[in-house]
Amino acid sequence: MLLLQLYFSFHQWSIYLGAWHEAEFVGLDIFKEVFADSRFGWAILRSLAFAGGSTIGCFLIGFGLAYLMRKPFRGQALYYILFILPMLTVPIVIAYTGEMLLYESGPINDMISRVSGGDFKVAWLSNPSIALLTVMLLEIWNWTPFTFIIMVAGFASLPREPLEAARILGASSWRIFWEVQVPLLRPVIFLALTLRFLEAMAEFPKIWALFQGGPGSATETIPVYIFLTTWQYFQVSKGAALSYVAMMLMIVIVLGAIRLLRHEKRALDEMYVAPRSGG
Amino acid sequence: MVKPVISRRDFIKGGLALTVLNTVPFNRNAFAQGANENDRIVAAAKSIGKTDLSGMIWSNYYIPMQPSMEEFRKATGIGVGGIQDISIFDIPQRAMAEALSRSPQFDFFHVDAGMIPSLASAGLLEPLDSYMKKSQFKIDAVGEYNKLLTYKGQTWGVPTDGNVHNQYLRKDLMEDPDSQKRFADKYGKPLKYPETWDDDFQIMQFFHNPEKNLWGSGNLRNRANGVTWYLMTFYSHGGFPFDDDMKPTLNTDAGRRSLEVYLREKAVAHPESPGWGTPQMIPRIAGGLTVAAQYWDGIIKLNENAAKSKTAGKWIYGIPPGADVGGKRIHRSISSPLASILVNKYSPRKAAAAYLACWWGTLKASEQYVGDNVNTFHDAWHKGHMTSKIVQDAYTVGGLKAVEKCLQIACPPIYLTGYLEFQDQLGKHLSEAYVGQIKADEVLKRTEEEWGKIVKRIGVAKLKEDLKTYKAIMPKIAKPV
Repeated sequence: MLLLQLYFSFHQWSIYLGAWHEAEFVGLDIFKEVFADSRFGWAILRSLAFAGGSTIGCFLIGFGLAYLMRKPFRGQALYYILFILPMLTVPIVIAYTGEMLLYESGPINDMISRVSGGDFKVAWLSNPSIALLTVMLLEIWNWTPFTFIIMVAGFASLPREPLEAARILGASSWRIFWEVQVPLLRPVIFLALTLRFLEAMAEFPKIWALFQGGPGSATETIPVYIFLTTWQYFQVSKGAALSYVAMMLMIVIVLGAIRLLRHEKRALDEMYVAPRSGG
Repeated sequence: MVKPVISRRDFIKGGLALTVLNTVPFNRNAFAQGANENDRIVAAAKSIGKTDLSGMIWSNYYIPMQPSMEEFRKATGIGVGGIQDISIFDIPQRAMAEALSRSPQFDFFHVDAGMIPSLASAGLLEPLDSYMKKSQFKIDAVGEYNKLLTYKGQTWGVPTDGNVHNQYLRKDLMEDPDSQKRFADKYGKPLKYPETWDDDFQIMQFFHNPEKNLWGSGNLRNRANGVTWYLMTFYSHGGFPFDDDMKPTLNTDAGRRSLEVYLREKAVAHPESPGWGTPQMIPRIAGGLTVAAQYWDGIIKLNENAAKSKTAGKWIYGIPPGADVGGKRIHRSISSPLASILVNKYSPRKAAAAYLACWWGTLKASEQYVGDNVNTFHDAWHKGHMTSKIVQDAYTVGGLKAVEKCLQIACPPIYLTGYLEFQDQLGKHLSEAYVGQIKADEVLKRTEEEWGKIVKRIGVAKLKEDLKTYKAIMPKIAKPV
C-alpha cells in the first residue's frame, strides 16, 4: 500500500484519462503542488490546534482522575469502569449523540443556563469560530480514558522509596507530588501526550459526521482534506502525496518525542545513580 | 365469360388459412408489439437465465423496490441476491473506487445521475441503449427529463427517484386576511404566490418571527447541499457555469445576483441552519416552523401525511420563483441527486442488470415504489405517475401537478466529468461566505480560480466534449406549459 502510494505521489494519474500504470511520471511536481497548497497549510494548522487542544484536555482530566485513583478505596473498580466507558463508545455514535445534545436550544445549553442562571445559547454546531472547539470537547470526552489508563499504570509503577523518604524528611503533600512524583512520571506523561497527540492528528469520524469540514472550512483538518482530495475530487496522486507529507510530519513529531523521552530517562537514571563514596 | 384466375372457393380457403396463421406466434416481433412494456422486457431478459445480482444501493431506496424485483425474478429468474447498503451520498465515492479497480463485484449502482459523466469517463458504466432497444423500453419521463440520464448521445441510467425542487409556501399564512392586509399596507401590493426571487424573500421576511419559532426560510445552506440551491437560482438568472471554451462564467451578473439571493436568506433563516442537512430541516418544514422553501418534492408526501405531519393541507406547492432575463421571466428547478440505476460494464451479469433496471423503470413497477407512503424516498418522474391514483394519493393532486411542472424545467447539477470536485469547490466557498469566513465578492472569484485548475487537470478538450451534453440536457422552455 505504501509503495503504491509512493508510486502515485510521483505519477500524475487521472482516473478519467487512463489506467493507473499508464500514469505520467512527473517527478516532484505533485509534492511541489502540495507544499504550495495554502488549503493544506490551513488544514495542518487546524489539525495541530485540534490535536494540541484535545491532548492537553485529555491529559489534564485523565491525570487528575488517575491521581484520585492512585490509592485503593472502596468502590474503586466501579469508578474505574465508569471512567473508561467513553473510550468504548463508537466515535460516530458520539458525533450523532453530541449533535443532538449541542443544538442551540438543546439539553447542554439548557443545563448550563439553569446552573448559571443566565441565557446560555452557544451555537456549538453553526459558529465557525468554535466548531473546532466543539469537536475538540467531544474528542476530550471520548479519549480522556486513554490518558487515564496510562497514568493509572504510571502511578502504580512509581517506586515507593523516594516517596517514603520524602515523607520521612517532612515534605508536604504538594512538594511530594510536584518534586517527587511528577518528575518520576515524566516519561509516562510524555508517552501519554505523544500517543494521544498522534491519534488526535488522525481523527476523522467525529469531524466528518458532525461537520464534513464545515461550517465553511472551519473543521477541514488534514484527514478531512485528504479524504476530500482523494475521494471527492478523485485526485488520487495528490491525495497520495498529501498522505506522505502528513506521514513525514508525524514522523518528525514522533522523533522529537522519542528524543525527549530519552532525555527524561537519562535524567531519571542520573537522579537515582548511587552516590560515589567519599574519601 | 372469362374464368377467374383464383376461384372464390380458393380465395376463401386462403383467407381462412391466413387467419389461422396469424394467431400462431411464429413472428416474435409481432407478438412483442402486441405485449406491454413489462412483457417485452421479460421476453428480452428470459434468455439470460436464472441469476442473482449484486447491487450498491441504500436500503431506504431498495426496500420499496423489492416487491417489483421479486415479480421480475418470478418471470425471468433474475433477481437481487444481495446489496451493499450505503447512503446515496457516499455511493459516488464507492462507485469510483470500483471504477479504479475495474471491479466486477457489483452489477449495478443506485447513484446520483450527476455522476454519469465521471463514471462513464472512468470506464465503469455500461450504456443501456441496446438493451432498451431489444426490449423496446423507453424512459417515459415527463417533458425531457429522460435527457438527464444521457451522456454523449447514449443512455446510461434508469431513474427511480425524480428528485426535483418544488416551491413550498404556507397556505394558512398566505390566506390569513389580517396578514394579507398588513402585507398590502407594507409593500403596496397583494400577498400572492411569489413570481420572482425578490417576491419570495419579501414573503419570508414578512412572516419571519423567531420569537414564535417561525422561520422565513426552510432552504439548506450547508456546505454539502447549498450548492444545489445556488445552481437553481443561477440557472434561473440565465447563468451557465462555463463558456464554450470551458472558461468558468460564474463571476457574471447572473452569478452575482444569484449569490445575493443565496446569502441574504441568512436574515430569515435559523441561526443554526448553516450546519443543517435534510435530517434537521425536514422535520422543521413538516412541523410548521418554516414559511417558504424550495425543496425536494419527496417532502410533499411527508407534509400531506397527516399521521406524520402537523401541516397536512397547509401548503401551496408550485414552481420555484423566476428571474427576468432579457425581457423574459425564466423559472428553473434542479434535479440533484437524480437517483438512478447504472450498470457496471465489468460485470459478467450486466445484461441481466440492464433488464432489471428497465423493469424498475416501467410504469407498473415505478408507481408502486413512488407511491409508497411509508418508504418515501422515491419521487415521481414518469408521465404515468402524473395520473396514477397511487401516486396522486401520496402527493395530493395539487402537489403532483407542481411536481409535473417542475420536472419540465428541471436542470442537472454540474453535469461534467469531475462533477463532485466542481460542486465541492463552489459549495465550500458558498458556505465560507455564508458563515462569514470570507467576503461575498471572494466566492465567485475563488471558485472560478479553482474551477480553472480542475479544467486544466481533467483536460479542456475532454470537458468541451462533455459540455455538449451538459448544454443539450438543459431545459429549453422558460416556464412549464
